[in-house]
Amino acid sequence: MSLRAKTKNSLIAYGFLTPWLIGFFGLVLGPMIASLYLSFTHYNLLNAPQWIGLENYKNMFFDDDNFWDSVHVTAKFVVLSVPTQLLSALLVALLLKKGLKGIGIYRTIYYLPSLLGGSVAIAILWRNMFDSNGLVNSFLSLFGIEGKAWISHPDYALYTLVILSIWQFGASMIIFLAGLKQIPENLYEAAEIDGANKFQSFIHITMPMLSPVIFFNLVMEVIKSLQAFTSAYIISGGTGGPINSTLFYTLYLYQNGFSFFNMGYAAAMAWVLVLVLAIITGILFITSRYWVYYEDGGGK
Amino acid sequence: MECFLFLVKEGDFCMKKSFTWILLMMSALLVFTGCSNQSSSSKSSDSDEDKIVLRFTWWGGQERSQKTQEVIDLYEKAHPDVKIVPEFSGLEGYFEKLDTQLASGNAPDIIQFGGNLNDYVLKGVVLPLNEYMGKELDLSKHPENMINAATYDDKFYGVVLGVNAGGLVMNKTAFDEANLPIPADDWTWEDLEKTAKSITTSLDKKYGVLDFDEDGFGMFLAQRDKIAYDDGKVGFEEQDAKEWFQLWQDMRESGAAAPAELQTQNQDDPAQSLIVRGDVAMQFVFSNQYAAYNSATKDELTFHIPPYDAKTGKNGVTLLPSQFLAGNAKTEHPKEVAEFLNFFVNNIEAGEVLGMDRGIPVNSEVREKVSASATEEDKVVLDYIDLVTKTSDAEYTPLYPGYVEEQKLYKQTVETIAFEKDSVDNASKKYFKELNKIIERHSK
Repeated sequence: MSLRAKTKNSLIAYGFLTPWLIGFFGLVLGPMIASLYLSFTHYNLLNAPQWIGLENYKNMFFDDDNFWDSVHVTAKFVVLSVPTQLLSALLVALLLKKGLKGIGIYRTIYYLPSLLGGSVAIAILWRNMFDSNGLVNSFLSLFGIEGKAWISHPDYALYTLVILSIWQFGASMIIFLAGLKQIPENLYEAAEIDGANKFQSFIHITMPMLSPVIFFNLVMEVIKSLQAFTSAYIISGGTGGPINSTLFYTLYLYQNGFSFFNMGYAAAMAWVLVLVLAIITGILFITSRYWVYYEDGGGK
Repeated sequence: MECFLFLVKEGDFCMKKSFTWILLMMSALLVFTGCSNQSSSSKSSDSDEDKIVLRFTWWGGQERSQKTQEVIDLYEKAHPDVKIVPEFSGLEGYFEKLDTQLASGNAPDIIQFGGNLNDYVLKGVVLPLNEYMGKELDLSKHPENMINAATYDDKFYGVVLGVNAGGLVMNKTAFDEANLPIPADDWTWEDLEKTAKSITTSLDKKYGVLDFDEDGFGMFLAQRDKIAYDDGKVGFEEQDAKEWFQLWQDMRESGAAAPAELQTQNQDDPAQSLIVRGDVAMQFVFSNQYAAYNSATKDELTFHIPPYDAKTGKNGVTLLPSQFLAGNAKTEHPKEVAEFLNFFVNNIEAGEVLGMDRGIPVNSEVREKVSASATEEDKVVLDYIDLVTKTSDAEYTPLYPGYVEEQKLYKQTVETIAFEKDSVDNASKKYFKELNKIIERHSK
C-alpha cells in the first residue's frame, strides 16, 4: 500500500472515529478527571468547590454508618442475585437447547424480562406486587398464608429486589444458548460411545466448553449488580429504606450528590466504586486461569 | 460473535462511496443537536422576539398545575411584554433537578421552594428582594410572621404561597363506628393514647393513630419551650428526643399506634396514606392537604388540633408557610420577577383562581375573597387556621440546614426503634450525634 493510500485510510478511520472520540473526551474522560478532582473537595453543587484533601475518603471509611450499610446491602445483593441468576439462565438455556417446537417463542418470552426489567414501569409493578395487599399476598392467602408487607419490612425488602434481578435472566440465557450451540456434537457422540451418561457429559464436556461463556456472564453480571440502582430507587421511593435495607451503593451515592448537597463526597464514592469494580474484575480474571478452558488457547 | 465480523466485512465494499454521505449526515446531526439545544434555552423563540422571557418552576399535582397555568395566562394578558414559560413536575425529583440546574447556571427565574428555602439562601442562589419591597412587591397586607419566615440576615427572599398548620385528620366514620366522640380541642397526650387504644380494640384491622413523624416532633419540642433548630445549633437535648421516641414506642406497644410494618407503608401521596387506606383513624398532616385526603376516601374526615402537654399546658402548633415563591439570584430580569411574585400573591383574580391549594392565602384581602367562596372542605381548613391563630403558643422555626439528609436520619431512627433493631436509648443517642454532625456540615 502506498503512503498516500495509507494516510487516506487512517483519515477515513479517524473520520469514523470522530463522533466516538468527541464523546469519549467530552463526555467520559473530561467528566472523569473533573470528578476525581471534586472527590478531594467539599462541593455542595451550588458554590465553588473547596479543596479538603482526603477528608471525604476519611469520612467515608471511618465516620459514615450509612456508607457501610450501603456496602453491606450491595455485597449481599451481588452474592445472592448473581449466582442464582446465572444458574437459572443456564438451566433454561439447557432446556431450550433441546430444540422444542416453537423454540423462538419461548426464547423471546424468557428474554423479555431482561429488556423490561431495568425500567421504571417494572419497578413500580414490582412494588405493587409485593405490597401488603399485592398480588403475591393474594396468591399466598389462597393457601391460608398471611404474607408480610414485603417491601416495607427491613428483613425482606432486599429479597424482592433480588427476585426482580433473578427474573431478568434472559440476557445471560441467550448468551448461554449461543455458547451451548457452539459445542461440537461429535464430542457428545464420542462420549456416548465411551459409555458416558448425561451427567458425566455435562460435567466433562458442557462445563469446560462453556466456561468462557460462564466467565463472560459472571463478569458482566457482577459489574451490573454492583451498579444496580433503578429498582431500589423506585421501590424504596428514593430512600433506600426501610432502615437502609435497600440502600444500594449507587443509590446512596445519588442521594449524596443530588439530595444532600455533598457532590464532592459522591464523587469520592464513585471513585471507590470504580476501584472496587476494577479489583473484583481483576480477581475474577486471575482465578479464571484455573477454571476457564479455551479450546484454541492450547487448553488453558 | 462471528456474525458481527461478517457484517463489517459485508459493508466494506460500499464504504468508499457512502463515506462522504455518512460524514455529511453526521455533521448535520451534530449541527441539529446544537441548534435544538439553543432553542430550548432561555432565549426567546421567533414569535416572541422582544418579549422578556421568565421561566417558572413549581411542583404539584394536575390540579395545581392547571390553576397555576391559568394565573400565568392572566399575567401575560396584563403584561404583554412578558412571557412566562412553565416548567412543572411532581415533588419526586423536583429538587434534584433544580440543584442540577442551579449548578449549571441554567435554573428557572422563578422558583417554588418549600421549608428548605433556607438551604438555598445559605448557598446564595436566591434573589434578595429588598430593593423591590414597597414598590414592585407589596407586602403591606401580609402578616409580619410570614414576612419574617422568608427573612434571613435582614434580607427578604420570597413570598409565602400559603399559610399552613399541622394537625390531625380524623376519620369521623370510624369514630362513629367505634361509638367514640371526636375528642375535645383541649385534649392531652394521655387522651390521645386512650382514644387511639379504644379504636384499636373496638374496630377490626384498624389502629388508632399513626406515628406523628418529624413535624410532630417540632410541635412536641415547642410544648416544652424548646425549638428544633436555633441559629446554627440544635435547640434541644438528647433527653427530649429520647422521650419523644419512647412516647411512640409505648404507643405501638400498647396497641394505640400502628405497628412498624404498617407504619412504613404510609406514603406522602394521600391515596396511599394509611388513613385513606383505612388502616388508622388518626394521622398527622398539614392543613393544606386536608382536601386531598378527604376527597381520596369515601369516609368522612375531620381536622383536629393535636394534643396538649398536660404539664406545661402548651400545644406547640404554629402557623407555617407552606411554600415560598422566590427568584433565582442569577436572573437577568429581577424587577420583572418581583412583579410576577407580587401578582401571584396579591392579585385578587389570581388569588381566586389559585384558591387554597397551596394553603390559605397570605394577603388578607385575597384571603377574605377566597373565604367568601369557600367550599365545605375549605371551610374546615379555614376554621382550623382560625383556631390555631387564636390558640397558638409557639414561634415559627425554620427547618434545619441539610434538611433532606436530616429527614433520612430521622426516618431511619424511627424505623430502627419501631422494628426493634435497637433500643430507644441507643437510637436516640445516635440520632442526636448524627444530627449535630449534619447541621455542622451544612452550616459551613
